[in-house]
This record gives sequence, structure tokens and C-alpha cells, in this order.
Amino acid sequence: MKNLKIVSLYLLALLAFGFSSCKSEDPEKENDGEVITDVTLIFQELNESNALIGDILSFKASDPQGIEVGKTPTLQSISLTKGKKYQMTIEVSNSIEGEDITQEILEEAEKHQFFFLGQVFDSSFFTIQYADGDGIGLGLKNIVTVSSSTGTNNSSMRVVLRHDLDKKVSGTNPNFSNFVQAGGETDLDITFPVILN
Amino acid sequence: MIQKAMLLLVLILSLNSALHAQKCELVLRGRVLHKENNQPIEAAYVWILESKSGISTDANGNFILRDLCPGKYTLQIQYLGHKEIKQQLTLNAGSSNQTFLMEEEAVDLGGVEVHGHRESVQTTTAVQSLYGEELLQSRGESLGESLKRVAGVTTFSTGNTISKPVIHGMHSNRILILNNGIRLEGQQWGAEHAPEIDPFLAEEITVIKGAETVRFGPEAMGGVILVNPAALPTSKISTTEINLVGSSNGRAGNVSVTHVGGSGKIAGLGYRIQGSSRKAGNIQTPNYFQGNTGMSETSFSGALGYSSKKLGTEAYYSFFRTELGILQDAHTGNLSDLQQIIKNGAPFTQAEFTYTLDNPKQVVAHHLAKLKAHYHLNPSWKLNFQYGFQANHRQEFDRRRGDRNARPSLDLELFTNTLEVFVDHNLKSNWTGSLGIHLIQQANSNVPGTGVTPLIPNYDMFNGGIFLMEKYLKGPLELEGGLRFDYRTVTAARYVGNELQKADLSYQNASAFFGGLYQLSPSLSFTSNLGTAWRPPNVNELFSQGLHHGAAAVEIGDANLDSEKSLKWVNGLTYEGKRSTLELTGYANKIRDYIYLNPTSETFVSLRGTFNVYEYLQADALFYGLDVSGTYSFSDQFNGYAKGSIIRAKNMETERFFPFIPSDRMDWGLSYSFGSKGIKESNRLTVSNLLVSRQNREPNFDLAPAPAGYGLLNVDYAKKIQVAKNELSISVQVSNLLNTEFKEYMNRFRYFTADMGRNFQLKFNYQF
Repeated sequence: MKNLKIVSLYLLALLAFGFSSCKSEDPEKENDGEVITDVTLIFQELNESNALIGDILSFKASDPQGIEVGKTPTLQSISLTKGKKYQMTIEVSNSIEGEDITQEILEEAEKHQFFFLGQVFDSSFFTIQYADGDGIGLGLKNIVTVSSSTGTNNSSMRVVLRHDLDKKVSGTNPNFSNFVQAGGETDLDITFPVILN
Repeated sequence: MIQKAMLLLVLILSLNSALHAQKCELVLRGRVLHKENNQPIEAAYVWILESKSGISTDANGNFILRDLCPGKYTLQIQYLGHKEIKQQLTLNAGSSNQTFLMEEEAVDLGGVEVHGHRESVQTTTAVQSLYGEELLQSRGESLGESLKRVAGVTTFSTGNTISKPVIHGMHSNRILILNNGIRLEGQQWGAEHAPEIDPFLAEEITVIKGAETVRFGPEAMGGVILVNPAALPTSKISTTEINLVGSSNGRAGNVSVTHVGGSGKIAGLGYRIQGSSRKAGNIQTPNYFQGNTGMSETSFSGALGYSSKKLGTEAYYSFFRTELGILQDAHTGNLSDLQQIIKNGAPFTQAEFTYTLDNPKQVVAHHLAKLKAHYHLNPSWKLNFQYGFQANHRQEFDRRRGDRNARPSLDLELFTNTLEVFVDHNLKSNWTGSLGIHLIQQANSNVPGTGVTPLIPNYDMFNGGIFLMEKYLKGPLELEGGLRFDYRTVTAARYVGNELQKADLSYQNASAFFGGLYQLSPSLSFTSNLGTAWRPPNVNELFSQGLHHGAAAVEIGDANLDSEKSLKWVNGLTYEGKRSTLELTGYANKIRDYIYLNPTSETFVSLRGTFNVYEYLQADALFYGLDVSGTYSFSDQFNGYAKGSIIRAKNMETERFFPFIPSDRMDWGLSYSFGSKGIKESNRLTVSNLLVSRQNREPNFDLAPAPAGYGLLNVDYAKKIQVAKNELSISVQVSNLLNTEFKEYMNRFRYFTADMGRNFQLKFNYQF
């Protein structure tokens, strides 16, 4: 009987320990990493010998909240001149964490690819080719040629960034509309309004 | 006098006769106990052949047979794994006590258990168990898959590696799973969170199909699953069991070893150790591999027990760790990705076979420690104590950029304490029962550093319950009822951006049940049970706010949800004849404030694309259905079986259907046993056919229509070989023999891929 009492005491102590140690931690702030909040398309005119000339034009899409209900992204209209050739570079960042995602995409070039779709290509207002160098087919740097006869002044361009895709399937076609067949998932899918002067 | 590998039972019979000897009012009382430590044996069957009446012993080993006429009778006593006793006795006034010795016999899995199976819980609701031969057949499968063998149980799965058991249309937090008597507390709320339990540790898996909140606590609405290891030995014994399973699909291998021992020096001291491991690679559908669907799993458990005349104690620990790959293409970036893959009906990624797991994947570890004791205060009263501690660590890895791939995007640590203290009484009258308290304390924390706003907050939960159950036994009639009151508080906090969100919530509920069992004859019994149950809303239903990749949906919780309250009526009819058996279960479950995820017409637009928005709503619901299972012996060699279930579930407010309710299905088969009769070396060939109909009762909104119905052909060949004194079982199983391409409505990945194709399995079981 004495043993039983000692055992019960140990048990009680164990229980007290078990129940009191079971307490949740205080929550900590968690900043959403790798969420893309800002995408900037930077255009600069190219001359016949593909040298950069003229002013830098930049157009931005931003969604400072990341993915959150009830907030829609703000999009600037892309405004370009008919008959000109531009270099288009893309900058991607996360303003919540202050991350430069452009660099991360570049480091994982084999796992990422931009695709450029929409009316500007369907109606042949734009032609585009990847210009990242080394034939990596990434799309952070591109050459865009605007047709001189577009018929209309208003159009749109869809920019898609895919992640973890099989680039053997997608190849180096920036207008590959069947990009889903290469697998992977979408990181960005933005349709910019385009104004042609 | 304790001999190796032998359990002896003492049956003390006290024969009381009524005053009017010529009338049929004699009462036969008895008690069944273990010889070496006087531990009672629960659920030994005691029959009087002449009067075709019988009863099973209660938790304290007692039985009472009433209303007997004076005369000569044949008393038959059966208990699992023990030699049957048949004894003549004469009943008249003034009979003296008699003693019976019951001897254990070598367990012949083919024969004994059919007659003397002991249910691990005594209840008046419909109960069905998986044990012996049937459990052996299921070795190597997950808990959910194994339980598909029980009529009325299906699975809610996420691909072929994650499956959750569904009882009568309910799963996740609406059913309970008990690991050796302790409520399994993991992150059950998630549809893709499989139960953290290794079925290899079980000697028996029992499904209770009724509302059992009173007995087991909140959330036991749809039913309860008991995963029970073998009882610890109380005498000198040493048994080892080895299971080896190999599967062609996924090229999976599985090993499990269990060793059970009893001390010869200290009577009543026994132990059990068990460990298992599993590795599998990518699953193959008839036409392609599913990328990243491999898994690896390790688990072990140990138990030590001591029982003496008055005191019984047991310490138990189990560890479970799993690493599961999630189909690559199921992780969609936005709604248009999702629509494209649904249109394609198959993954875009051309996968090959590999064991390597990539993101997305889950890594889950679960520890469970338990202390259990009971003490006989006096012959009628017993004090019981059970304490459980559980730690669950769940990490989910998504496809991310750079070194973030090594960082989980969901990282949860959940600690749970459970404590039960109750007294059992077994009075000289016909009443038995228990009264006790049940405390649950839980703490959930998000491990910082995921770089993702937590899906659910950190929280502390406390649940206190007090319960009372009474059972009345009279001849073939058994009546039971119970009451319980619970009080629960939840304190939650988290940061969304820079804003601290806090919530203090409390819930309370009273639940009750009443049920009866009537043994119409030794072969026919009827049960009926009416029980209320409740389930407080879960943290994810209250606080969810985030992106669900597999559904390209943003799910929004509601902190003002009420508790779900249900009333379930279950009726069962069991017939066990010479040639045939039949088990019928019919039920209706009415639920007030059933919580469900409803698609809103809103979509949410971000730089990543468009997403559907889902919200948690409540409505009254009605679930009803029927389970049937039966067997028939055409001859000693030739046997047949059939089982099936139908479920109907309706939203009473909108008159519409809920998503992910199992469609009608049946499984039937024929088996032929050959080899010379009477020799232990046996062969058995079984051919079976699973038929599943299309779910025609679909909700208003689904990402894709319900897939077509399907039929699968399965073959099983089992052989038993006597190796010295030990038994070796070998079986070859082929599931989906015809390599039929099909999609199961209850598989969430039906949107993305076909189900598993043909699978050859080779299974060894050796006991020595």
C-alpha cells in the first residue's frame, strides 16, 4: 500500500508536468516570402544595330498585399510607338519581404520560363524573341518589335511565368500558348493593357 | 502450475435457485477469470444449448442466465483462442459451485475466431472488426485502405498515398481513431492529412458505426475506429511474428516484426515490442506514372504491463514517422492551371519511376505515450486511470524558389494531454456501468520561419467532460444508456501581416445515448442505438484564410460558427448460421449546423492569376444508409461473400447534395479451399469483384463532374505451411487484375489523374 502511494505521487507529479508544459507558443510575425507583389516591364528602344537608344519606359503591375481576398492588382498600361523595336526586361520583386525575385529566377533559369501571349501576338502587332543569352529561353530579357500597321491603338499582352516546367517540351518559343503541357505551375499571370501610338 | 504458452481460466459458478422450484425461475451465475492472476475475462460466450439462450461475460468476467427451468443442461463456454468447454450440469435448488478450467489452444486462424471472437468494445451499436485472416490479407496497406474491407467504411483520399477512413459518409474530425485506447490527436482536420498510425501494430481493428460521444468524447459523430494491439501476456510466453510484403506497383517493400513476451519469474509481467518500415516509389496508373507519389514510413511501439490480483498497469509508447510525396501536377498555380489539367484528365508531367521524393511533400512525426492502470477496490468496484501524451509534428513542403524548398511552408507542432479517470461497477444485481471524467488539453504552435502566413493560428484548447454509463443485463436482453457533459475553451492567436488576431471561444454540450441488444437466438441478434453527438468547429473552419493549392482556392473560415449537433440512430441485425452469416446495419444521422465548405460566386484576382473563393457555411443535414455483408458456404471447400453499402446525404436547407459522399458500392467474391482435409497445410483461392457506381447525387458546384462507375477484378491465393510447430502463411494478391483505368469519386486527385493500376503483392507471415 505504501508503494502504491509513492507511485501515485510520481504519477501526479508527471501529470502536473504534462498538463502545465502543454501551452502554445506566442505567435510570431511571418512575412510572406517569394510572394510576387511587383512586376515591372522595362522598355528601351533599340536601333538598327541593336544598340540601346532613347528613354527608359517602365510599366508596373503591383499587388502590395500578395494573395489576399478583396484586393485586386493595379496595372499600368504599356504605351509604345508603332514600328519601333524595343528591349524589354522584366523585374520581379516582393515588397513585403524586400526580396529581389528577378535574381532568384535567373539563378533557377532551368526551372523558370516567361511566356508572352494575348491579342498583341494573336493579331501580329508584336513579335518577340528571348534575348537572355546562351539560348536559355527564360524571358527576363527580350526583344519586342512593334508592327507599323496595327489598325487599332488598344490591345493587350498576357505575361505568364511558369515554374518547375519541363523546358524540353516548351522549347524556346516565347509565344508557346500550350505551356501547361510542359508541366509546372504558374507564378505569374498578368494581362497588361497596351496602347500603341 | 503455470505452463508455457498456456492460459488457464477458472470459472466459478454459483448456482442460485429460486424458492419455487417447479417454476422456471432458476438463475445461473458465474464468473470467468484468468487462473494465474484472477483477472476477469470479458466477453467469453456462455451458452445453454437446450434452451438456446446465452450471454457473454461482462467487463468483470461475470455472467447471469435467468429464467431457467430445473433440469439437465449442456453448458458451452467459448473464448477466443481457447478450447471450448462443454459440460453437463443439473439445475435444481441448492446446487453447489462448480469450477471449469479452460485451456488455450494453438491459434488456428482458419477456424476458432469465427466462433469465439471477442469485440474490443461492448456496445449496443453496430460494431465490425478486422482481425485474423482478414487482417492478414490487408497487411501492408494503410489504415484507411485496410478498413475498406468493412461494409460501410470507405476512404477519402488524396492520391494513392493519403487515405482517410470514412464511416457512413463522415471522416476527418467527425470520426475518432483510438490508438490503443487513446484518442489520436494529429492534424486530422486536413483532407490531405492521413491518420498517424501504423496498422501493423494492431491485432484487431474495430469500427463502431454509431455516435459514441458519451464514451469517447466530442467528435465521435460518425463513428469510432479502435486500433488495438494484442493483449500483453500475463504468463511465461515468447512469440515473434514477422510480416514481409512486396508490391509491384510502386515497387514497395514492407517489413514488420512483433515480439511478445511474458516473464516466468514475475507472474503477471509481460511486454510487447513492434516495429515496421515501408518504402514505395511512384505509383503507376494503367497508362502512366504519377510523378512524386512515393513514400517512406517508419514506426515502432513498445508496451510493458504488470497485473496482479487487484492492480493492472500498462505503459505504452508508439512512434510513427512518414514522408509522403504529393503528385506534382496537383500543385496548381492558379485557376486556369487547374482548369487545364482537369480538361486534360491526366498529369502533364511525364513521370518515370523513382523512389526519390521531391516537393510538394509532407513529413509527419507522431509520438504517443500512455500510462494505464486499474485497481479493484472491491469485487464490485474498479478504479481506472488512463493518461496519454501525444506530440505531432507536421511539415509540408511546397514547390518554391531556391533554398526555400528546404523550408516547410506549413510547420505545426501539436501537443495533447488526455486524462481519463473513471470507476466501473458491477453490482450483484443486473447493473454494470461507469462514471468518470475525461480531460483533453491541446496546444498548437506554428514553428516560425516558414515564410508563409500560417493557415491556422496558434491555439490552446481545453476540454473537460464528465460521463455516466449504465448497462442492464437480463437474459438475452441488454440495455444501456449514458450521459455526458463537455465544456471546451479555445484561445487562438496569430499574425496576419502586422496585425495580431486573437480569439477566445467556448463551447458546451450535453450528449446522451440509449441502446439495446436482444439475442433472439444463439445465431440471431438485434441491436438498436440512438445517440446524440457533437463536434465543436475546428480551428481551420474558424480561422482558415489562405490558398489551397490543390483546389486553386482561397478558403475563408468563420469565427462565429456554432457546434455541430447530431442524432444518430443505428440498427443492426446479425445472423450467424451453420452455412451462412448476415450482418445488416441501417442508420439515419440528422445533423444540426453541419459545417461545409461552399464555393462562393466570387473569384479572387492576383498577379498569380485567378482563384475560386470558398467559405465555411452551416446547414442542417441528413445522412442515412444501409450496410450489408454476408457469407455463404456452398460446401467445406467452396465459400462466397458479398458486402455493400449505400449512403444518402442531403443539405436539408437547400435540398442539394454535399460533395465527397461515397457512391453506392459492393464487393463480392468466391473462394475455393483445397488440399487434404484436416491437415494444416491449406490452399485457398479467392476471386473477387468490386463494383462502384457513379455518384449521381452531385453538389451544385464541383470542379469536375463525378467520374464514371467502375468494376475491378481482384485475385488472392493464400497458402499455409506448417514449419515444425509454427505456421507460415504466404499469399499472392493481384488487385485490379485487368489493369482497368478508373477514377474514384472519393479521391481528391481524380481531377488530376487516374487511380492505381494493376498491383501484384506477395505477403509472408511467420509466427514462432
